Formats: sequence, C-alpha cells, structure tokens
Amino acid sequence: MKKVTGSSHRLARMRSKNRSGFNSEQASETSFRLMPVSHFRVFIQCMFCIGTLILGFRLTTESSFLKASFQNPEDPFTRISARTDSSASTGTESQFDLQLRREFANGSKGSRLAYNGTIVHSSGGVRVDVGRHAILIRPWPHPDPFEVLHAHHLIKRVQLEQRQLYGSKESKPIIAITTTFVRTFQAVHLTGLLHTLSVIPVPVTWIVMEAGGVTNETAHFLSLAHVHRLLHLGFDIPMPAGLNERSKLEAQMRVEGLRYVQKEKLEGVVVFADESNIHSLEFFTEAQKVDWVGAVSVGLLGFAGFEESPQSGIVHVHDGRVEARENHILFAARQAAAAPRFEPQVQGPSCDSNGNLIGWHIFDPLPLEGEVHKGMRAAQNRRLEWANFVLNARAVWKTEGNQPEWIRSWDEWANPEDGSTPDIKAIVRSDQWVKVLGNCGRKVLLWWLRAEARADSKHPNKWILDESLEIIVPAKSTPWPRRPVRRAAPPPPAPAGGTGTKHGAGSRVSSGKVRRPKRKQDQTNVS
Amino acid sequence: MTKDRRYGNFSLLTSFGLLLLFLCQQVSLAAVHHQRISGSAGDVLEDNPVGRLKVFVYELPSKYNKKWLEKDPRCLTHMFAAEEFVHDFLLASPVRTMNPEEADWFYTPVYTTCDLTPNGLPLPFKSPRMMRSAISYISTHWPFWNRTEGGDHFFVVPHDFGACFHYQEEKAIERGVLPLLKRSTLVQTFGQNHHVCLKEGSIVVPPYAPPEKMQSRFIPPSTPRSIFVYFRGLFYDVGNDPEGGYYARGARAAVWENFKDNPLFDISTQHPSTYYEDMQRAIFCLCPLGWAPWSPRLVEGVIFGCIPVIIADDIVLPFADAIPWEKIGVFVAEKDVPNLDKILSLISPEEVLEKQRLLANPAMKQAMLFSQPTLPGDAFHQILNGLARKLPHDPQIYLKPGQTVLNWTEGPAGDLKPW
Repeated sequence: MKKVTGSSHRLARMRSKNRSGFNSEQASETSFRLMPVSHFRVFIQCMFCIGTLILGFRLTTESSFLKASFQNPEDPFTRISARTDSSASTGTESQFDLQLRREFANGSKGSRLAYNGTIVHSSGGVRVDVGRHAILIRPWPHPDPFEVLHAHHLIKRVQLEQRQLYGSKESKPIIAITTTFVRTFQAVHLTGLLHTLSVIPVPVTWIVMEAGGVTNETAHFLSLAHVHRLLHLGFDIPMPAGLNERSKLEAQMRVEGLRYVQKEKLEGVVVFADESNIHSLEFFTEAQKVDWVGAVSVGLLGFAGFEESPQSGIVHVHDGRVEARENHILFAARQAAAAPRFEPQVQGPSCDSNGNLIGWHIFDPLPLEGEVHKGMRAAQNRRLEWANFVLNARAVWKTEGNQPEWIRSWDEWANPEDGSTPDIKAIVRSDQWVKVLGNCGRKVLLWWLRAEARADSKHPNKWILDESLEIIVPAKSTPWPRRPVRRAAPPPPAPAGGTGTKHGAGSRVSSGKVRRPKRKQDQTNVS
Repeated sequence: MTKDRRYGNFSLLTSFGLLLLFLCQQVSLAAVHHQRISGSAGDVLEDNPVGRLKVFVYELPSKYNKKWLEKDPRCLTHMFAAEEFVHDFLLASPVRTMNPEEADWFYTPVYTTCDLTPNGLPLPFKSPRMMRSAISYISTHWPFWNRTEGGDHFFVVPHDFGACFHYQEEKAIERGVLPLLKRSTLVQTFGQNHHVCLKEGSIVVPPYAPPEKMQSRFIPPSTPRSIFVYFRGLFYDVGNDPEGGYYARGARAAVWENFKDNPLFDISTQHPSTYYEDMQRAIFCLCPLGWAPWSPRLVEGVIFGCIPVIIADDIVLPFADAIPWEKIGVFVAEKDVPNLDKILSLISPEEVLEKQRLLANPAMKQAMLFSQPTLPGDAFHQILNGLARKLPHDPQIYLKPGQTVLNWTEGPAGDLKPW
C-alpha cells in the first residue's frame, strides 16, 4: 500500500525524479502556497485516495471511462486516456490529481478570461493547456498503400533532382560481366548482385556466363533483375572444385563475355562484377570516369587468418621485380603490442604523392600449416583479380575501336599462344597507362567476400524444402584453406569457413595446396 | 537579288534571336542549386549589424559567470550553451563599446543555466535569485539600470521556459517571467504564442548545437535521400510520465502508436552513431515538442538539409521575423498527428524541392549556428540584427529621475533571498 501524501509532493517528485538536486524548500513552499486554495478539493482528494486504496489502480480507468462515455460520440479517434500497465503504479494517484487540477485550472481559467484587467499572474492565457492530453490514435494505424505510393514518387523525384544537381554528368552505360554456376551459395551471392545492378541509374547490360550450361535455377534468379539488357550465356565446361582451376575457368568465361561485347560492338564501361563481390553504388559512378583502362581497389573479406594482419604485410610488385617486405620491425612491434583485430586487406593500385601509379597491393595470404613459405615466388604468382579492372568497351573491339597503340589487340592478350590463362592486366602494354580510380586507390569501392560452401554441398531446389530431410550430415571442410600458421586468438564466429563447416571437427589441411578432401565415407545423398 | 539577301538577313536575325531566347529559357530552367531567402521583413538575413548598434557589456564578478564554468565545463557543450557563447562573442565584437554613455543596449553576463546535476541537467531553482542579485549589482554600480529600469537591457535566458526559470510548464506558468525582467528584452530559446513565458519583444534564438561536430559529419550531397521520415528520441518519458499524455502533450506517443509499423517512418528511441549521417539521407525530419516546444532537432535538420516537420502548436521559431519558416518547414497541428503520413505524402514534389533549395542556402544554415570563430550571418549576428531592429528605443522607457516602475519585492518569497 502506498502512503498517501500531498499531491503537490507527488507532482514535484514526478518530474524531479531524475534530478537529484531537488530542493525540499521549494516543495514545502509550493505546498504552502496551495493550502488556502480549497478545502473542498482536499476533501475530494481524500475521498479518491481512499477509493483508490479500495478499488486499486482501476479507479483511474473507471473514472476516465465514465468521462469518455459522456464525451462526443462522433469522435473518430479512440482516446486513450489511461494505460494500465504495471509501470503506472507510482503515478496513478498523482495523475488523477493532476487531472483534477487541470479541470480546476480550466474552471478558473474560464472565469479569468472574463476578467479584463491587467493580469499579473495569469494561469496561462488563452491556449496553454498543461495537463493530461489524450494520445490520438486513428482507428487503423497502419500504412496505407496509396500514401506509400505517393511517398515513393516523392522520393524518386527528390533523388532525380539530387542526381541532376550533384551527380556525375556522365552516364555511360555499364556492361557487367559475371560468371556463375549453380551451387549452394549462388543464391546468397547472386541476389545481392542482381539487386545492386537493378538500382544503378544508368542503363546496364548484364552478361552472365554460366559454367555448365544455362540452367533454370540461374534463370529464375536473373528474372528478378531490372536491367536494361540481360544476356544469359552458357559455357559448356562445368566448374571444377579447386580454387586455382576455378579461377582459370572464370578467366576463360570472362574472355567469352568480352568476345560477345566485341561481336555486338557494345558501348560503355565494362565492369567485372563477380557475384561474390559487394559493390557500392559509388563504384559505378567512379567507373564512369575511365578513359580506356582503370584500376580500383578491392577489399577482401574472409580470407584465411583475418583475425590478425597477415605476416606478409604489403608486397609491392614493380614491373615483375618484387620488393622486399617493408616495415619488418614495425610490424613485429605492432604485433606484439596489439590485440588481434580485423584488418581489412585491400588489393589494388597504389600511387605516389602525385597520383601516378607506381605499384600494386597484392593479397598474399598467410602460409598454411606445413607449407614452407616460398617467399618472393609465391607473391609473383599472385595475380590481380579481374574485378580490379574497369574497361572502356571499345578497348576490346577488333575493328573501329580506335584504340591507342598501348592497348594490346584482342588476339594478342585474349588468346595467348602458350595456352595460359588470359590475364586482364595484359591488355595494357605498361602500367603507366592505367587510370587509377577511387581517390587514387585509397577508397575501397567494392569488397570480395571469400565465403563459399563446399563444392559438392547440396541445397534444395530454389531453397524450398518440400518434405523434411531424413538424414543430415554436416560437411567438414571448404575449398578455402582454413588454418594459417599462427593464430593469436580463437577465430570469431564469421563466415570465413562458409556454412558448411560450422560443425567441422577440425579437419586438418595437411599440405599447402588445396586438395580435394577425402570424403568417400561422408558421401551421403541428401535429396 | 538584294531583296533575297535582305530576306535572308532578316530570317537569319530572327532565327538567331529565337535561339538566344531559347538558350536563356534553358538556362533559367536548369536545376537551381539553392535559392535566396527573403524573409517576412525583406532580405534581413544577410544584414550586417556592425555600425548599427552599440552594446555595453557589464563587468560582473566572476561568481555570476566564470566561476560556474570552472565548476562545470559541461556548460559549454550542452544545448543551453548560448549564454556563454554570446558573452564571449560580445566581448570581442566590434559592436562592443567601452563607453556606456553611447551604448544602445546593455548586456549582463549571468549564466543562469549552468548549475548542473550530475546528469547534466540544469537546475533552475537558484536562477531567479542569481538574476536578482545580478540586477541589484548592476543597479547599484551603474546608473543605467535605474535610468530605464531595464528598458534598454537584454539578457540571455536559454532555459526550457526562458525567464520563467522552471522546467515544469505548470510551475513555469505560475511563476511567470521574473518580475525584474519585465521591461528588458529577453533572448531565449523558448517561444510559444499566447504563453506567459514569451514576453512581448523577445528574441527567439535556436538552441546551441556544436558547429564543428556537425560540420565534420557531412556526407557527399549526391548520396540519395532514401529515408522518408526520420526521428530519433523519446516517445514516452518513462521516468517522469510513464503512461504518456503529459510528455509532449501526447503528440510523440501518438507518432509512435500510429506509425511504428510504417516502413516510411524511420523512428526509434535508439540513438545510432550515424545520427547525423542518417539525417542527411532523410527527406523529412520530425521536430515534435517535448517537455518544451523547442528542440535542437530543428537546427540539425536545417544544417543537414532535412525538411523539419514541426509538431508544436503555437510555437514561435527562432528569428521568425527574418526567416520565413512556413516556406521552409512543414507545420502539422498536434491534433493532425494521426494523419501525418497522408499530409507528408501528399505534399507536391515541387514544394519539397523548393523547400530543399531554401534549406541548401548557406545563409540559412549559418543563421542557425553559433559558429566558433564567428562568421557573418551566424546566430550571433542575427541576435544583433534583432536588437538593431528594435532601435531606436521608445522614449517612454526612459524614466524620470526618482520614478520607479518595478516592484522589487514581487514574486515568490523564495526568490527574494539574497544570493
């Protein structure tokens, strides 16, 4: 039972609960001022206090219900004047008292209004109404589809105006070349990419090369895209499981895509939008600035050993010569001092202070368990991703391209005689002609999410399970190499291993090379 | 032959003229970045007050101003910091005069909002006594107060309800404006029509918002504005008014109840670290009243180009005689809050773009800020402009020697104690 004390105390205490410097002097002062107001009021207060004690906290609801029932029935809104939840327990009495006070004040206001002299101490003038107000809620407080539509038109108009005022003046069409194949994570990657490409403000031609031929699953995804032109081409060779072979096949598929651009003589900016990349819209506006060949920085997410900086640091490759690793001492000191934290790795161009391209940052992962680090040679074998480069479509035209002479012709770079994989960097004769985009490579405009399920992991068609699964066996390893040499802290729960390895009981990757895991005993058909 | 040539010349001229006309039209139709603001009193936003008035700053003992700052430096960063910054500005301003005989206005630097609780909220309980003590000090040490009984003096009172010196509206109304300040000009953040605490002739200023903090968080203007309505703040003041109905006169609770599941309304009580960036990605920013009708959200909305939706009946916005707020913001009556989505979505796109152009005007943004260091057109200058507009003084404010108007014993008994 709560002690019944003067309402003015409650009133003051209500507001000053959070203010610790409450002056008791003030409280007594105010209560002193209120005493001569009305005995009748005190009496009513006592009656209601007793009533509350008996009836409990429903007194407020009951009385306000009574009050509401005498109000205007044509009121379109439900007036909630009391909320009965447990947190209201401390405030019930004082709220009711305040309601009383308000009505009293209203009454006195009414009489004051008629008083025409100079009001030295007026209780609020004409329209000030301090006291409890109703919380107005309309009968159906949910969004109305027509209003939502209007709002979207408004947003679209505002964004159009923004583009006109601040956006880039160039609007070359974008040609996005993507390689894909049906697998567990295709849905994850492709959905993000298709939505990104659908909202780019310029016309987009999307060339999708699918390994293993055109399939219905991929076509189902692609039907959701809103692009200017969509081309779904099939490549008959199925995608291999190993990473190195995969990248070789992808390179060949991209060359096929470029061959299509060449054949149709498409105009615009060619972007290698890998499906496992996360693009920011700024990337597509930056890509407009390219003249012939441009380079951007790609951030890497989820590479092996991301919980600390990789041992190799940054390796600069200068026209074939690999420079020694820099800042060895600094790096060691930093490692000793710092707790393990995520440091994003960036692959891309690097500039000097004048903005000229001087080298490339290349991703060089930590050496894997048991592998002797091959030193410079390993770095030399690394190549830049195709996603690092942005081309003018005319650069791959065979005729009428008017390409400058420092761009190799199609036959030279795209079909190398020795049968090696075509490298996009080979399209220019020397690095100096490459234009560096994104604030000289400092701004990372796209991210490569290196997360993949096992090559042979199964997934239900369209991710809908028709019947419940009978046997579920966790897969144990992923195509990406898992364990680096050193680990300072246990790995945080991150998609570094892909969903297929959540229950992996620590399968060891014995040699450095990615190998096909021995899974004959694990092979279970999950249909 | 000549006739043909003349005809050819004539047609050439007309076609050239038409081309010029066409080009001119194109230029005028091209997207305009921002628009000049012409207020209700003309283009007064860009007026320069220097040379139009002179202000004398009283030297008060440090217990009225500096001591408070030493005790609690938080006074310089909270939203009531205007009183400290106006003092600093006037001390270094060219309108300051050391000769009180030639001064048009007199400024008394007393920091009444610097008595903070551990939480950082100012306690106004000692403020009336402090103000009284300051006024008695200046009236005994200088003859200028008694000359007009404060008619040419101005005070900065940025608290919740101005010179009523209380945070609770009922109590503030009961107290009314401090009787000794009855004849002075008050520079305050509170402004509501037909309210006791807004004295006739007061200058309403925006609350203090840290300029460097906001200006360091700009994002590129080409970032598309994709949020329709944005608001972050309390809907129910659970500590003081858990059931709702008192806080914000129920308006904030109505916003929450009606629009909590509306995808167009990005409203929440969680304060994100990207608050300023989010405002720049929003088209409308709600500025509902709280315990008092004014809030720093208005300033933030103007700085970040988000159209303020003001939900506070009878509010008087800062510098209302210089800034045409009806053209810049959207005013929604508190009883219309349940229809807020309809009201906002039915605003025509041209009107929205017009408002955004007005907001993009740098003069507008400048007028809302108390810039450090001071810049032309900022809030300090707007205050001086407001004071300059009140000149020349009405000769009636000058009292005959020996005449007194103010009653020094007026007011609650607690205020009369010396400080």
